[in-house]
Amino acid sequence: MSQQTIFLPWQEGSAKSITFIVTKDCQLACKYCYLVGKNSKERMPFEIAKGAIDYILHHEEIFPDESVVWEFIGGEPFLEIELIDKICDYLKIEMYRLNHHWFNSYRFSFSTNGINYHEPRVQEFIHKNINHLSIGITIDGTQKKHDLNRIYKGNGKGTYEDVVKNIPLWLRDFPYGGTKVTVSSKDIPYIKDSILHLFSLGIHEVSINCVFENVWQEGDDILFEDQLCDLADEIIDLGLNEDYQCSFFNDQIGKPLDPTLFNQNWCGAGKMLSIDATGNFYPCTRFAQYSLRDKHAWIVGNIYDGIDQNKLRPFLTLDRLTQSPDKCIKCEVASGCAWCQGENYDAADTPTIYQRSTAICKMHKARVRANNYYWNKLHRKLGIEEEKTSKHKESMCSEYNSYC
Amino acid sequence: MKQNLSVQIVFPSYELPKEYLTVIGQIDHTIITESTTPTLSSKNSIYVHSGLTNLPQFDFLKDLNVVIRCKFSEIIHGGHLIASVFPFVRRLNIVMTDIEVINGEDLDGYNNTLNSLSDVILKEYVRGHFVQTNLLTDRFMLDEMNNCNAGIETITLAPDGKFYICPAFYFDSGDYGLGDSCFNVGDLENGLHIPNIRLYDLEHAPLCRICDAYQCKRCVWLNRKTTYEVNTPSHEQCVITHIERNASRSLLKRIQEKTTLLPNKVIKEINYLDPFDIKPNY
Ligand code: SF4
Ligand code: SF4
Repeated sequence: MSQQTIFLPWQEGSAKSITFIVTKDCQLACKYCYLVGKNSKERMPFEIAKGAIDYILHHEEIFPDESVVWEFIGGEPFLEIELIDKICDYLKIEMYRLNHHWFNSYRFSFSTNGINYHEPRVQEFIHKNINHLSIGITIDGTQKKHDLNRIYKGNGKGTYEDVVKNIPLWLRDFPYGGTKVTVSSKDIPYIKDSILHLFSLGIHEVSINCVFENVWQEGDDILFEDQLCDLADEIIDLGLNEDYQCSFFNDQIGKPLDPTLFNQNWCGAGKMLSIDATGNFYPCTRFAQYSLRDKHAWIVGNIYDGIDQNKLRPFLTLDRLTQSPDKCIKCEVASGCAWCQGENYDAADTPTIYQRSTAICKMHKARVRANNYYWNKLHRKLGIEEEKTSKHKESMCSEYNSYC
Repeated sequence: MKQNLSVQIVFPSYELPKEYLTVIGQIDHTIITESTTPTLSSKNSIYVHSGLTNLPQFDFLKDLNVVIRCKFSEIIHGGHLIASVFPFVRRLNIVMTDIEVINGEDLDGYNNTLNSLSDVILKEYVRGHFVQTNLLTDRFMLDEMNNCNAGIETITLAPDGKFYICPAFYFDSGDYGLGDSCFNVGDLENGLHIPNIRLYDLEHAPLCRICDAYQCKRCVWLNRKTTYEVNTPSHEQCVITHIERNASRSLLKRIQEKTTLLPNKVIKEINYLDPFDIKPNY
């Protein structure tokens, strides 16, 4: 399997992702959490979820996608396991009763902090739905790194121990389970050790990204690159690349993008749908009010009036060129440089999704340098003479040599 | 005025003090005024009618520029009233005031109205009176987009001393669903500052830049109101405009058959009413 394909989500491209924000409560108070409006009061009533499901399943014409991923997020979704179980039962019954084209092509998906993964009620739900389930547990790496950010609300205690004890159980249920790691400025010194630690726990896929917010300090890019180059050394020297994947290293990133051929948007906002506790629809959870710092929620309808397709048009017509500044269009290392539409909107000078935030710029460039280091080293180890296809790549090599 | 700018001045329905008129008289300008305003009768003025009901009573001076503001349903049901104006005016602009609430049911009716208006216009052309109207004749005079271009080519100074992208943003100060917006773009003291100005130009409008309904106003205010983005039109906006484009195509063909006008002009046949349906999938 190539580095590329392993991170593709289920039914990539043909699955509609529909997210229920079941609760805004969480046991944790992660320092980097983008959910600025978390609270323990807003919980989705079953009737709202039912209303959303009825609307969606009765409008097959606006949801023609082959498959569906019903996603449950919070806060911490497993705090609402009873509700979720009831919603999932209702979904299954209705998809069957309506002979809906999604009945044979659906998945339930969860992203959890893992704290109550072992609880009987959660386990019961998992075994009931195991054939249609994906669950990702978020663990940030070593105890030091994890406890730096992922702390309990109230007492501020780190949550590592309570999460890590559930990892074997989770890997028993999902042997190919992957985890997502989010890197912020303070996490940089722990990246290498954290990823190696996750591998040592038996997690084979680590999907990792830098936060899109403007948090980066002077010199962070150099530190980041050093960490990744050290990580590359360890992975290759220990032969871990055979069995483990870290999404930072990807042979497709760091190349210029021909604007006429590669003009697609990066982010899936607008092609997804989120529903909150009041029954409002959003193009993605990041556009709900509790996720936004400075802007108003971007509501595209509700379960009573349906979806206002006009409010989705800007998302469905958005392309790379129209939203990117000139420096990104001309960028020599543009491929793989990601953005989040919600953060773009939140950070923009006017309420628009058409102003790409480039807070991540120097971090992407650092990643590209380390990525080139990784692949060149791997190719050398494997005795494959790397094809020097562009002058650009040569210049990147000399650049990273000076750092690593 | 050093840059030879032309100013369009929207007059109130009451009489302005003399000193205002003196200042206005010193600059290159166009007056936009309600048709009921008593004292104005310049050929450079633009007369605005609200609704269709008082049209038959209005005494049209020859060769006026007239604007009719009315509801979509009035156009459908009052086509004969609009048609009666064409013989008298140089130009008639029809502005729909409620395009955002139009639904699919009325579209056939709109097409029929445009066809009846075309019959009258054709007669005028045959007798040598080349009347213009935004709904039907602009498209066949154009080879590229001719939009309102608010924010790019025009800017509005409102009575509060502030600049706005266009008068609509001043008059309708609602938040349009995304909170207080930045459509007040400066003032006389601090000058003009339009954040994200590129979003007002055609190149940054993914649908409009692939569209050939050149007569479309591409109203950024309506865009903002219906889709939240100034560069993205609503489905209804595009469909209405394409019905006009296609009616214009039919009218052009008939004019070419009956007269020697515009012999080489071609508006190609298309099979969509909303450019959203032909947008590129990258
Ligand atoms: S943000 Fe920076 S690295 Fe990313 S495409 Fe733009 S210029 Fe290139
Ligand atoms: S018809 Fe639609 S796409 Fe075409 S110019 Fe008008 S608003 Fe833009």
